[in-house]
Amino acid sequence: MDTLMHDDDTPDLDPRLAQLRASMADLDTPRCVEKELMQAFGAHFAPHRPWYRRLNLLEWSAAAIGSAVGIAVLGLLAMAPQLAGQRQETEALLHLDNGAAFIALDSFERIEADPAPRLVETEVPRTVLATLGLPVTPENAGEALRAEMLVGAGGEALALRLSSLH
Amino acid sequence: MTMTPTTSDDELLRRMRQGDAQAFAALYRRHQGPLYRFALLRCGSADTAADTVQEAFMGLFTGRLAFDPLRGALPHFLFGVARLLILKHEAPRRRESPLPELDADDDEPMTDAPCPLTRLLASETAEQVRRALARLAPHYRDAVILYEMHGLSYLEIAAICAVDIGTVRSRLARGRAALAKTLRAHALEDT
Repeated sequence: MDTLMHDDDTPDLDPRLAQLRASMADLDTPRCVEKELMQAFGAHFAPHRPWYRRLNLLEWSAAAIGSAVGIAVLGLLAMAPQLAGQRQETEALLHLDNGAAFIALDSFERIEADPAPRLVETEVPRTVLATLGLPVTPENAGEALRAEMLVGAGGEALALRLSSLH
Repeated sequence: MTMTPTTSDDELLRRMRQGDAQAFAALYRRHQGPLYRFALLRCGSADTAADTVQEAFMGLFTGRLAFDPLRGALPHFLFGVARLLILKHEAPRRRESPLPELDADDDEPMTDAPCPLTRLLASETAEQVRRALARLAPHYRDAVILYEMHGLSYLEIAAICAVDIGTVRSRLARGRAALAKTLRAHALEDT
């Protein structure tokens, strides 16, 4: 320590300063400061955990339930147009008109696109027609109906036409 | 790795930066006392002194305060940080009221009243010196506290206060003279 050239008029200063030094020697920072610093230190150097490890069981359950509900809602929304389309398609397959019926067995685009369709006379059991949506009663269930079948160039059935359902 | 009271500050700092809480605790316990006493005498408020110590150590481990061992010892760096934090804390009050002159006889404009230290200092003489110190202008107080209470050299004080060594010498001489004058005045008042 450097030696200070003390003024002559301050001879009693050093003992007084020594008294102040002695009286303060045991003064320390309040305990709470160390506690807060150690907590802050722990938080600052805490290992970085990925987000999925920071969630507890309850949060995970809530997330799983939320995801399941979301998927279900999305699924229903996605299926709705398909269901509507199926109904429209069913309606298009069977066309009734004054006791006559036209039943498309394939799509209209396919029927119209066939290069050489031909009509074939045939008989169709009512039980088969029932599967296509036509009304069948127990009394006439065993009968067969005369029909004209539209057959494609490759021999596949494209449509049925019934002149009378009775 | 074991830690002993002789483990150097540099080693403790290295381990602290790697997240070793024990190293940080050792550093804190080693340096908090002098730092707190400096801050307490410097600002006169126990709360402000505690906040100053906390902020200084917080800055140390977060890296906000860049300590370079090549530029000085850790305690001196911490004294410098504490001094700046207290100056920052006092800045609003300094703007509102002028600094006391060396020979001013007004009552302790730089300290909180009543001062918490009054309760802490049992010795009447020590309390008189403390009150006289509080009446010194801040730049004289820095030099007197660091030299008289902490035994630092002129060079170390110059580094802490960012002034040249001649300035430290003159501030110390004037500070001591002012201190002695104030104490004499108090003694005369008492008689």
